Amino acid sequence: MAAPTAGRLAALGRRLAAPARAWLPGLTQVRWSRYDPSYLEPEVNKELYRKPLEELSEEEKMQQELKALQPIKATPSNVTSSVFSDPTISKFTNMMMKGGNKVLARSIVTQTLETIKRKQIEKYHQASEEERESIECNPYIIFHQALKNCQPIIGLCNIQKGGKTYQVPSPLKDNRKRFLAMKWLITECREHKHHRTFMHEKLSQELLQAFNNEGPVIKRKHDMHKMAEANRAYAHYRWW
Amino acid sequence: MAAAVRRVLRASRGWSAALRAPEAPRAQTLRLICTTTAVQKRNIAASGPEKYTEAFIKNQIEEFNLGKRHLANMMGEDPETFTQEDVDKAIAYLFPSGLFEKRARPIMKHPTEIFPKQRAIQWGEDHRPFHFLFYTGKQSFYSLMHDIYGKLLDIQKYQDHLRGQGLLAENRKQINLIGSRWLIKEELEEMLVEKLSDHDYSMCIQLLERLVTLPCCGIEEEYVLKFRKELAIQLKKVVIEPLQYDDQGVAFSTGEGKRKTSRASAVVYDNGSGKITVNGVDYLCYFPVMQDREQLMFPFQFLDRLGKHDMVCTVSGGGRSSQAGAIRLASARALCSFITENEVEFMRQAGLLTADPRIRERKKPGQEGARRKFTWKKR
Repeated sequence: MAAPTAGRLAALGRRLAAPARAWLPGLTQVRWSRYDPSYLEPEVNKELYRKPLEELSEEEKMQQELKALQPIKATPSNVTSSVFSDPTISKFTNMMMKGGNKVLARSIVTQTLETIKRKQIEKYHQASEEERESIECNPYIIFHQALKNCQPIIGLCNIQKGGKTYQVPSPLKDNRKRFLAMKWLITECREHKHHRTFMHEKLSQELLQAFNNEGPVIKRKHDMHKMAEANRAYAHYRWW
Repeated sequence: MAAAVRRVLRASRGWSAALRAPEAPRAQTLRLICTTTAVQKRNIAASGPEKYTEAFIKNQIEEFNLGKRHLANMMGEDPETFTQEDVDKAIAYLFPSGLFEKRARPIMKHPTEIFPKQRAIQWGEDHRPFHFLFYTGKQSFYSLMHDIYGKLLDIQKYQDHLRGQGLLAENRKQINLIGSRWLIKEELEEMLVEKLSDHDYSMCIQLLERLVTLPCCGIEEEYVLKFRKELAIQLKKVVIEPLQYDDQGVAFSTGEGKRKTSRASAVVYDNGSGKITVNGVDYLCYFPVMQDREQLMFPFQFLDRLGKHDMVCTVSGGGRSSQAGAIRLASARALCSFITENEVEFMRQAGLLTADPRIRERKKPGQEGARRKFTWKKR
């Protein structure tokens, strides 16, 4: 029942956006948006719009009809429909950014990808025929795989019980995993770096190590897993 | 005590004027009004004699229509085709007001918009209420719920009847709900002429949704559609300008865009080679940052028309990112004239045709910035 629920959601969204208890001092709304709750997120992928009408399934047709009735938000400035824009890379750039200096962050990330490519090509030329097939030269694939390898599976959560705070193992959401992987990578590069080395050099080094499942970031992930395993006894303290 | 009350009434004639009979002569008629505040605060549903009689409202409507014709004659317009917008403009012209509050300025609207919709008296001469649910306090709402539930039971009975005959599988009739939404709480209140609480409203909508899930709900379609409001197709709100042609016969189109405080206007020419000029300067020099140039190219790249158009644009205000966003919106709007309607819909769904409403949040008093608070000091 996509149609009534969509309508209900929009109506409920309008209700929830201004609840009757908004005046309570402890419950003021902090996260609000300039958009009306009925606005949907934009879809930039060109391929979805190229599909001819016959290939669409029933659900997709209904979704298209619904979308024709709802207003859509404006696309943010760091998103384009070109093949070069990647949401993970954008997120990583934003996390690298300091003081709003996006130009610098983006240049570091582009230089990192370039350095990775150079290193891999050098390795490719120096390797023998059999090894050449296994060497990955695409920096985007290396970046994504390295981040995936750094993501922890289980995390620790602080729970207060009987006056003491325990570190309780708990599952992590996908967003949280991605965030932790990127955060560890960036902090590792910032802290354990010689002041004469460039950031892009150190980052490319760390990414290549993470791609091969070695290096300090992977070690940190394993430490987290070991702590979770050690605190297994407190797992029942979690109630959600 | 009674004499004292009479004296008070004589002194303050304007007090409780509503309780005085409207057609009373100017002579000082005195009435003992020994009411307490507890009795005066009554339930709206059980409100007493209506403030405006039906005859009064009818009179007002006739006066309004007559007044509209007089106004049209005064302004030199045709009385037959004088719309409400023309009335508003005429009133604004004849009675210019410098008041800031828009609702305090002189208005001339249809009486149904000015006098709130109210209900006729709910009880007869013997003071017994007409409706059997009067003493619930929300008679229209509860009677509505009863009606909807009654319809639900009817549909179920019909379904059982069909199932008994073995014809249920073929006779499924569902209501098409795409393109409409449920009435919001305010609209439902207007329909019932009664105040509702959020809980009541959600109960009503839940019951309607339950009715809609039944396989044979098509028999009550017109009743359910009374509670649905049509949603306008969003594409119709996008205004597509027709193409213009310059001296050499090259087609071009203009568009305007804004983002934060930047305002941009773009002219997109056909049969071009992908040259973009911003404020007289090449786009490579004006936008040294790659991200801004990507934003400029976004609409063209989305429609696969990268090297086919030339663009000349002017932009002012804001910073580099907002200027790029403003030009993006302007060029997307200009490109609407060159492409088919389906492609315009695709652009709209990609978020290229919406003006970004986000602006800089203001600084609040008692805080250092929009969100940042002053440093907390324990003492």
